[in-house]
Amino acid sequence: MKQQSVVIKSNQYGLTVILDEAMPFPELKTEVAGKFQASAGFFKNAQMALTFRGRSLTPQEEWDLVQVITQNCPLEIMCIMDEDALTEEAMKKAVEEHASMGGQDGKFYKGTLRSGQVLEAETSIIILGDVNAGAKVVSKGNVVVLGSLKGTIYVGAAGNENAFVAALSMDPMQIRIADVIARSSDRQAVTRERKKSDDTPKIAYVEEGNIYIEPITKEVLGDIRI
Amino acid sequence: MSEVIVITSGKGGVGKTTTTANVGTGLAKLDKKVVLIDTDIGLRNLDVVMGLENRIVYNLVDVVEGNCRIKQALIKDKRYPNLYLLPSAQTRDKTAVSPEQMVKLIQELREEFDYILLDCPAGIEQGFKNAIAAADRALIVTTPEVSAIRDADRIIGLLEANDIKKIDLIVNRLRMDMVKRGDMMSIEDVVDILAIHLIGAVPDDENIVISTNQGEPLVGDSSMAGMAYMNICKRVLGEDVPFLDLNSKEGFFTRLGKLFK
Repeated sequence: MKQQSVVIKSNQYGLTVILDEAMPFPELKTEVAGKFQASAGFFKNAQMALTFRGRSLTPQEEWDLVQVITQNCPLEIMCIMDEDALTEEAMKKAVEEHASMGGQDGKFYKGTLRSGQVLEAETSIIILGDVNAGAKVVSKGNVVVLGSLKGTIYVGAAGNENAFVAALSMDPMQIRIADVIARSSDRQAVTRERKKSDDTPKIAYVEEGNIYIEPITKEVLGDIRI
Repeated sequence: MSEVIVITSGKGGVGKTTTTANVGTGLAKLDKKVVLIDTDIGLRNLDVVMGLENRIVYNLVDVVEGNCRIKQALIKDKRYPNLYLLPSAQTRDKTAVSPEQMVKLIQELREEFDYILLDCPAGIEQGFKNAIAAADRALIVTTPEVSAIRDADRIIGLLEANDIKKIDLIVNRLRMDMVKRGDMMSIEDVVDILAIHLIGAVPDDENIVISTNQGEPLVGDSSMAGMAYMNICKRVLGEDVPFLDLNSKEGFFTRLGKLFK
């Protein structure tokens, strides 16, 4: 009986793929593709950490294999782990750390953020107050301002383009979502400060590399991913 | 129970010194024992606005450094016997005094006076830190300009961070004609942005320039600015005084005077 050239082992947070040492790489790739295709249904949309074992791979080969796996299987590879770090605990930690980049956790801040003040958080933030011009809020998750937003805001600071900003009154100097930056129009300063803030609650999000600011409606909220 | 009030703004030239002089004089008019302290070391001018420049012998730095006793440095006002000025030094700079020294000095003055008013220098550096170190409450002076409001906002943040809870706003140099034309922010616009309690609004009044140059605070006279400052003083004391109608060109008493002409 022919020994299996590719074996997949899994625990709750990670996959270990044991590879045959002798098989030529192109053949091995096909074999991996087959294996993952066969178990595609089993993995459906899981987020996993990945470890290769049994064979030393160059970074290029490793990358090729990850490509093959994600093409053949609805699996999100969060990270590739070295074999020596291979414990369920380490994988768990890595996956959870990555997940927190989406800002699933949140915290509250009460008070008005004034010029020169900076509020930074690893999590999402809900602000009970205004963010005045000259103040700055940085979050790896999302930000909701229950007041008027006139300062600078940076959400998805770890690179999450799905992050959003919502405010009761939206008139920021600058919005940055992941790596997309938008600034306010060059209205005259006086009219900007004078302008009775438009009281429609709005939400800002990224779509196709652009920041959109829309009134909060069921349709818009339906498109938000968190 | 004495109260220590710092008058500050962040930006220069918005009327901190004028406000200190007028509020201080007004409180003295209302029979309170008041001392004004000029904390702008190196750029002293509260003494000039008060018309007391020629009486200065010792100053704030002398007191702090122990060159004289507090009593020797305090200048008694020429109009009100219950009003005093502690002038700043002109030949030194802000680093000559530390916040701890200010706290100690003001602790001594508290026993003697009802109100201690601190005229804060512009900026947020050492001079500002000295001025706010011992303050119980603050009066923020701003003009309806974006630059002044931005600085005031920053200052309010710093005061809150330094645990000064009672912060009131004075909007200075309002020009109602410009507000009506939409070329200047209104009081409501300013209060909306800064989100703190408004204690008074002072119209742009040429009488202020005249009174400053003469060294005679105009608080309590019949000019619009004089009445506005008097109202601020009463509100500082906790009285509930309605806001002036700044739309009228001249003061009530001027109009009354005209009626009898």
